[in-house]
Amino acid sequence: MSAPLAFAWRSLVRQPPRSTLGVLGVAAVGALLLDMLLLSEGLILSMRELLDRLGYDVRVTASDALPGMGAAIEGAPDAVAAIAALPAVRAVTPIRSEDAELAHRDRQVTSVLLGVGGTAPVWTILRGRDPENRRDLVINRYAAETLGVEPGATVTLRASCSHGPTAPPPVEFRVSGVAELPFDTPETASAAARLVDLEDACGAPGAGVADFLAVTSAGDAAAAAVAIGAARPDLRAFTNDQLIGRVQQTGFTYFRQISTVLATITMAFALLLITVLLTVSVNQRLGEVAALRALGFSQRRVVLDVLCESALIVGTGGVLSVPLGIALARWLDTILKRMPGIPEQMHFFVFEPQALLFHAGLLAATALLAAAYPMRIVARLPIAATLRNEVIS
Amino acid sequence: MTGVNGVIVSADRITRIFPMPAGPVVAVRDVTLQVAPGEHIAIRGPSGCGKSTLLHMLGCVDAPSSGSLVFEGRDIAALDDRARSLLRLRHIGFVFQRFFLLPMLTAAENVELPQAEAGVPARERRRRSLELLEYVGLGARADHRPSQLSGGEMQRVAIARALANRPRLLLADEPTGELDQATGEQVAALLDRVNADGTALVIVTHDPALAGRAGRVLTMRDGRIEGEVRQ
Repeated sequence: MSAPLAFAWRSLVRQPPRSTLGVLGVAAVGALLLDMLLLSEGLILSMRELLDRLGYDVRVTASDALPGMGAAIEGAPDAVAAIAALPAVRAVTPIRSEDAELAHRDRQVTSVLLGVGGTAPVWTILRGRDPENRRDLVINRYAAETLGVEPGATVTLRASCSHGPTAPPPVEFRVSGVAELPFDTPETASAAARLVDLEDACGAPGAGVADFLAVTSAGDAAAAAVAIGAARPDLRAFTNDQLIGRVQQTGFTYFRQISTVLATITMAFALLLITVLLTVSVNQRLGEVAALRALGFSQRRVVLDVLCESALIVGTGGVLSVPLGIALARWLDTILKRMPGIPEQMHFFVFEPQALLFHAGLLAATALLAAAYPMRIVARLPIAATLRNEVIS
Repeated sequence: MTGVNGVIVSADRITRIFPMPAGPVVAVRDVTLQVAPGEHIAIRGPSGCGKSTLLHMLGCVDAPSSGSLVFEGRDIAALDDRARSLLRLRHIGFVFQRFFLLPMLTAAENVELPQAEAGVPARERRRRSLELLEYVGLGARADHRPSQLSGGEMQRVAIARALANRPRLLLADEPTGELDQATGEQVAALLDRVNADGTALVIVTHDPALAGRAGRVLTMRDGRIEGEVRQ
């Protein structure tokens, strides 16, 4: 194999501009292909990472809808107690979210307000501390900047709740910290407080309502979900895996479809590019190939030479395509994340080794397929007729 | 190995027909010919008379439509492509009118090519290539690319390449066709030397001077051997 590879290399360097164009073409196409592969799984992987990072591996809802999107759990304290008593469960945190207007002096901002029961916070404190006391509140960076407040400041909160009075009175909250909340989106304010304080703000203390229950299992999430389903058949329990599966079936299929279509087009383009380059190159050398065959080179050998040329072009271009693709993915990710409603911690393009392996496999297949036609030309080359034609031409 | 009666290649009533859209064309018709070791044969004739086609059949790059062709005792019709390639690699050398040296390789590397294909170790083929380039008078040009050589020098490198695997038969198709008279004379002298050193030589040529150096001159017309002169 080394002799055909060396021979193919010499053949490529014989035509530097054409070979360079081929390699650059493959690098560009390979970069796009890699990006399509990263895009096809990016949001799913990013979502998975985000869910895992929160520390809960089971989510319990009142319906089959995704957490926070369906009916609320009424009588949440009873459900929390029943689920927390299960041996497969380590901790249960009820979570409820409502809309709220936050105001400080003459500034105000519309915010999502999370009410979290239990002790495990779902946010990361950037400055200050968790909301430990009555009517403490953490806000995200955007809310802090918009209101011009820092930990220790007092803000007025007017909640707009799905349960309780339609227009509860405004309530004063003390900002205990500035935090990064899960599913925060850029230029969107969010805040979080203890669940009891959210219920106070909604004018319905002790309402006992939660959008969903976040559960930490004792180690086996699937077993915990089954146990919860058995203990409370009126509720639905999803592990992170099941949740990701549902998201894959619904929201993110578009990205996979788009990336599949674009990846296919990209590969077809690479295929045509290399086939044309190799075919032109082989057609220009038919006389030489026929002469080599006359001198005793086997059919297998001249075919292998063409395959090696294809492998070298695609291999070199493929290697260059990886850093190019990663750089392009970062740039595209920045652009796509400007879309409204995209959480800051979510990414459209997520690098994973499996995608790189798949990318290499697809490029190898491209090299092989692209070489098929020129290989056929040299394999079926009539030696005598070609030598005769070369002299006549 | 030599065939029956010491013959290298024996053609018995070989015919080559090319199927064409306008009807079949008979390029070579009922030719019988034997090439003995060390022989020097020239084939002459007008363009299109079948000289090159006959040469290609003798060199096993083309197969007769009918008749029998035996190379060193082996019936060519019974050999597959791989076996024919191996036979050409080890027993036949080709020199072409248009040289067909690979432009990206040096003169020495061009001469090494058939040896590499035959599995000769790198050091041995380098030594043999330099020896052959010395033999053709181009020892000092071993590291030059074809683009840095004259037409005559390229043809001498092509002859060295054809001799690389010590063939018993050297076939040359218009070896001086692209050279001026003086350069052609040098190449002809080199071919004489190759023949004198024991390699059988079959040359297709229009050049009467080159043909005049051969021991046997065959004249072809319309695919047949019309005449034979022994000198």
